[in-house]
Amino acid sequence: MTKLLKSLSLAVVLAFSVPFAALADSIKIGFNAPLTGFAAADGNSARVGAELAVEQVNSAGGIGGKQLELVVYDDQASPKESAPLAVKLITQDNVAAGISGSYSGATRAAATIYQENSVPYISAYAVHPDITRAGDYVFRTSFVGEVQGRAGAKLIGEMMGHTRVVMITLNNDFGKSLANGFKEKAADFGIEIVNEYEYSIKDREFGAIVSKAKSDAPDAIYASGYFFTAGPLVRQLRAAGIAAPVIGQEGYDSQKFIEIAGPDAEGVIITTSLDRDSADTVTQDFISGFEAKAGYPSDMVAASAHTAVLVMADALARAADDSAAALREAIAGASVMASTGQISFNALGEVLKDVQVQVVKDGNWHHYAVISDSELLAPPAE
Amino acid sequence: MLAIELFIQGIVQGAIYALIALGLVLVYGLLRILHVAHAALYTLGAYLGVIVVNNGGHIVVAAAVAMIVVGFVGVGIYRLAYKPLLDKPPLIALIASIGLFIAAEEVYRIIFGAYGMSFVQPPLQQQIELFTGFHLSAARISVVILAVLFIGVLGWLAASTRTGIAWRATVSDPDMAASFGVNIEKVRYINFFIGSALAALAGVMVALLNNLVEPTMGAVPAYKALAIIVLGGLGSVRGTLVASIALGIIESFGTIYLGHVLDRDAIAFTFLIIVLMIRPQGLLTRG
Repeated sequence: MTKLLKSLSLAVVLAFSVPFAALADSIKIGFNAPLTGFAAADGNSARVGAELAVEQVNSAGGIGGKQLELVVYDDQASPKESAPLAVKLITQDNVAAGISGSYSGATRAAATIYQENSVPYISAYAVHPDITRAGDYVFRTSFVGEVQGRAGAKLIGEMMGHTRVVMITLNNDFGKSLANGFKEKAADFGIEIVNEYEYSIKDREFGAIVSKAKSDAPDAIYASGYFFTAGPLVRQLRAAGIAAPVIGQEGYDSQKFIEIAGPDAEGVIITTSLDRDSADTVTQDFISGFEAKAGYPSDMVAASAHTAVLVMADALARAADDSAAALREAIAGASVMASTGQISFNALGEVLKDVQVQVVKDGNWHHYAVISDSELLAPPAE
Repeated sequence: MLAIELFIQGIVQGAIYALIALGLVLVYGLLRILHVAHAALYTLGAYLGVIVVNNGGHIVVAAAVAMIVVGFVGVGIYRLAYKPLLDKPPLIALIASIGLFIAAEEVYRIIFGAYGMSFVQPPLQQQIELFTGFHLSAARISVVILAVLFIGVLGWLAASTRTGIAWRATVSDPDMAASFGVNIEKVRYINFFIGSALAALAGVMVALLNNLVEPTMGAVPAYKALAIIVLGGLGSVRGTLVASIALGIIESFGTIYLGHVLDRDAIAFTFLIIVLMIRPQGLLTRG
């Protein structure tokens, strides 16, 4: 009897202790993203993308036998939230590293805190140039706005052969940095900027800009924005009878853009980092895995968060020891095939990768071209 | 030519502002409450419009459903949120209203999703050529026609019907109106119903223009409508209408000619500040 009890209790202890032991042996990665508020759509997509990457890593055996664990907090895309959350992730949750699935403001604030604590941090899709300047522990797996703006100039001037361009610029850090990059290289590719109009992220009504742009009669329109501004904008441009091609960027990169703009989305071309028609298995697994998990087609922010987690997992596997310094070294030396292409970093921690050009055809994003001009796409290095 | 186009775009925008601000000024006139949550009703109207159309309803049915449902929700807000606070200082009701507005945004996000909603087949997108080379969608033209129609009918009701007279009496002196046998509660219910229904109509129209309805779409109207009723002289319906149209036109030209310096909201509030410096009592009100 006592023997039976003993073995039973041993079994119970074992049954409970195994999962606990597994949990204690996990590697935690902090993840901040806007899960509520105005940016909640992007934040939730980014979260699903990151969770998918974690599941893929864990089902492939984890990192040296340890499971990855994502600790997710809602930063509402606000630096007021992200800064204390970074402190909490580092000091209470004891994360090995952090990933931002958030916008620039929130990411900048958190990056400073990760740097101060010497914990590696990767920004998945925030564009502000100062993020990586927080220090050597901060990396970015997406393009800064300037790089993508330069790619846009090459696309319109050289690859599409248009000369007279009207710019419609979103007046936040994303739109402004894109516009700077575009203007920097426009003349080199034979582009004449006829006019530039600015709008705020809150605008969905572009009646005045559309009327003025029509009178400018441009060959092409370079418009920065997110799917929730670009969708209404493209619809209103076409409704006014403007047929000039519209060229956008990764902010458009969501099925939602096509849903909002409807048939008017056809032929819209963007620079982004996700190639829907890629033959690469990592990208294809991401695209099918995301749709199965999220219930809607993949987008740029999800691919970016997925990429950031894969880069982090690769570095964790390669790190010489458990120290943060070794992990930082491993990230800096990354050369990873991820869902947004082949990833490596420059001295500042900015990503070096190709720009994907996608076009809307038959209601879906498709491959249009790839820009892999390393000189043109060189990110800031200091 | 361009000036005429910008002017017309301004009128369209102004008509939307007017539909939203009218409900706000009606509530302010009656209860002296700044009804910030009004903008949440505008969002709700937009959602209902899209949902009804996407489920096979005609756009007219959708607008009617949105107006009636949101009208009752507006009455509910008065009954449950404002009525218990009427004997408290107006600041309390304002705080309740702001809280209600923020909560509503998150409720919409939870129920309808963070990505917003669009029409599968947006109605009223036919292009109508107003003059050579200038097209407006049927939706844009409808905004102006409906705003004129509803505001006109409302003005006539207020001027010539018993309910309208009771309403105006209640606004100018509630105690006196009550002593003459006006049912003040009934006036307030009707007031909230009409104001909320107009906001719902504005929501449906904006959904048609942008083909995008988001949980946070009320954020801009929430404070811009406040600016408009201040411009109009707090409580003056006619002033509010003039301020709405004026702001629509100023934003339209401002976006093009001042857009590099000030964004649309900054232009609107600069205009507000300038007007208040010259006419602190508002555009039309006598000092």
